[in-house]
Amino acid sequence: MITKKEKALWILYGVVLFLLFLLSSTNLIIKEKERRIYGISVIIEDTSDDNYVNFRKGMDRAAMELYGDVSFITLYDKGSVKQQEELILREQQDGCKALIVAPVDAKRVLEMQEDKRINVPLILLNSEIGSGGDGITERIGFDYYQMGQDLGKQILEDSVFEGKIRRKAFLFGETDPVSIQFRDGILDQLKPEGVEIVLWEGSEASLKEALEGKQGEQMVLIALDPVSLTEMAQLLLDMGTENKSPGLYGRGTAVRLLNYLDKGVIQGLCITDDFSAGYLSVKMAVELAENQIVEDLGYLESRCIRREDLRDVEFEKMLYPIE
Amino acid sequence: MWSLRRCYTRLSESGGMGYVYKIVGKILAVAFMAGILAGCGTMEKEEEKTSIRIGVSLYRGDDTFINNIRSELENCAKEYEQRHGVKVALDIQDAKGSQNVQNNQVERFISLGYDVMCINPVDRTAASAMIDKAMTAQIPVVFFNRQPVEEDMNRWDQLYYVGAAARESAVLQGNIVVDEYRKDPKSLDRNGDGVVSYVLLEGESSHQDSLIRTEWSIQTLKDGGVPIEKITGGIANWERSQASALMEQWLDQYPDKIELVVCNNDDMALGAIDALERAGIDKIKLVGIDATTPGQEAVRTGKLLGTVSADKEQYAGAIFSIAAAKALGKPVSEELSLEEDKYYWSPQEIMISP
Repeated sequence: MITKKEKALWILYGVVLFLLFLLSSTNLIIKEKERRIYGISVIIEDTSDDNYVNFRKGMDRAAMELYGDVSFITLYDKGSVKQQEELILREQQDGCKALIVAPVDAKRVLEMQEDKRINVPLILLNSEIGSGGDGITERIGFDYYQMGQDLGKQILEDSVFEGKIRRKAFLFGETDPVSIQFRDGILDQLKPEGVEIVLWEGSEASLKEALEGKQGEQMVLIALDPVSLTEMAQLLLDMGTENKSPGLYGRGTAVRLLNYLDKGVIQGLCITDDFSAGYLSVKMAVELAENQIVEDLGYLESRCIRREDLRDVEFEKMLYPIE
Repeated sequence: MWSLRRCYTRLSESGGMGYVYKIVGKILAVAFMAGILAGCGTMEKEEEKTSIRIGVSLYRGDDTFINNIRSELENCAKEYEQRHGVKVALDIQDAKGSQNVQNNQVERFISLGYDVMCINPVDRTAASAMIDKAMTAQIPVVFFNRQPVEEDMNRWDQLYYVGAAARESAVLQGNIVVDEYRKDPKSLDRNGDGVVSYVLLEGESSHQDSLIRTEWSIQTLKDGGVPIEKITGGIANWERSQASALMEQWLDQYPDKIELVVCNNDDMALGAIDALERAGIDKIKLVGIDATTPGQEAVRTGKLLGTVSADKEQYAGAIFSIAAAKALGKPVSEELSLEEDKYYWSPQEIMISP
């Protein structure tokens, strides 16, 4: 026969169990924080994401951690201002809560915002203009001018180190705003040292042809953008004379470029912390979508490296980020 | 009759035709509302979708063939957007060879409300968990490159598979060697002992294609009258670096014996070429499968005797067409002809060095 005390205890157990169930399995007592998922659109200036591999890794990480629903969008034709404009409007119409744009023409994008055609927070990638600090337009990117200066210093150091004087520098590649900043930085270092500058406007193949048969060792080739650097490195590699080739320098973080650096085809490479750029831009976009105040990040880290730096732990983290 | 009479009696009791009007009015009102609601439903159904969301999970993004397919998928999406004016959000994720990571990616696609998922399974025998999730969320799945087991494929009519028939690839690969042998036996049987001594580089043991490719490639050589002798073989898991290491080892173990390297894919063939180049050997013939971009380059430069090309444009086009049709609620049969309503086999052809 069960006593009253035992009966009360059983009831108490039952109540406790029920309460534990409510606590652990329902939303009645402990209210779970409602998570909002923010649609964020990233629109770049290129037709492929070849130069955005690490950026995308950082972007995906942030999207997972911060509940962002990120769409990465490339253009149909490289450098088309009109297409980028249409895509910005399309994404906005589709309900994105923030835009991250690597602008073909930053002024045009900002004009769109001034005209109220863009009415969601906007983050510009690698743009000199546009840091409004107003919580609506923000900027994230690298100091390409400084990067160019650093590379210029490295080129001069390498010339002295190898006991050769490279009197002539051929600069070739794109003339987009980022490449121009990079070029200006290089020129400001090399010109005062008496290096003759040739701004090559033809293709990489024509430059290679022009250099054939000349005394290559006194020349330096500087690619202003990653695509031109890749093409020239491949041309030099195909020639099979990479060790005798003039010094090749440039910027980029694609694995292919790192392989060329490892093979000695490229002598110096400016690298950027693209993973952080991707992560921080999405983080900033989520914060802006939540109407939070974001801090100005200034410029993100970039470095110039040589072949021997590839295995350095510091650079490994930057070049091969773990997702 | 009973009910009619009863109804008539009730009508007479309750005030005659006024009551009839009330009832008829109510019926008409209900019918009208039902009509509106049904109409709304139809309108919603008929409303054209202006955007679709497709989640793609790759078993490993650094696999050259898969990377080629990925690029083609991106091209397909852009072309479709321009041609049809439908926005395509294509989210391509790399599972990095981990089934757990892939499962998480699938869960994420589902939680973000994707219309369709295209999955290149890490483990073809572990597709059932992903299928369960997709079935619960009612999201169609297009598997590709790694075929889930038949029992899994038969579980739901919203599962599709796109691939290249492994047996056909292998027979075509075998034919490259058979033709070469018929043309000039000495080009393969370099030591003139009447036998072509070969080594074999195989893909993952768990991948159905690697077993079928090996079996049928060798069978084709035998059927074609090529006298062959296997020296050794190894599993290089489709990877260039692993194949390179194995080949280097074999070159040490069997110097001057190897005359042919049969590879289950191009990446492994390129790995073997790396090892041969390091050893300064250039007379051994190699054959691959997939016709990846570097594989095609090796064929052009004569480093690779030949490879089998699955039309990657068509391969990716089939994946995309099925996904787009399912996302827009259109019948797949309008876009493609499928075997058993779920399988699409991409056409293949051989590429031989000049």
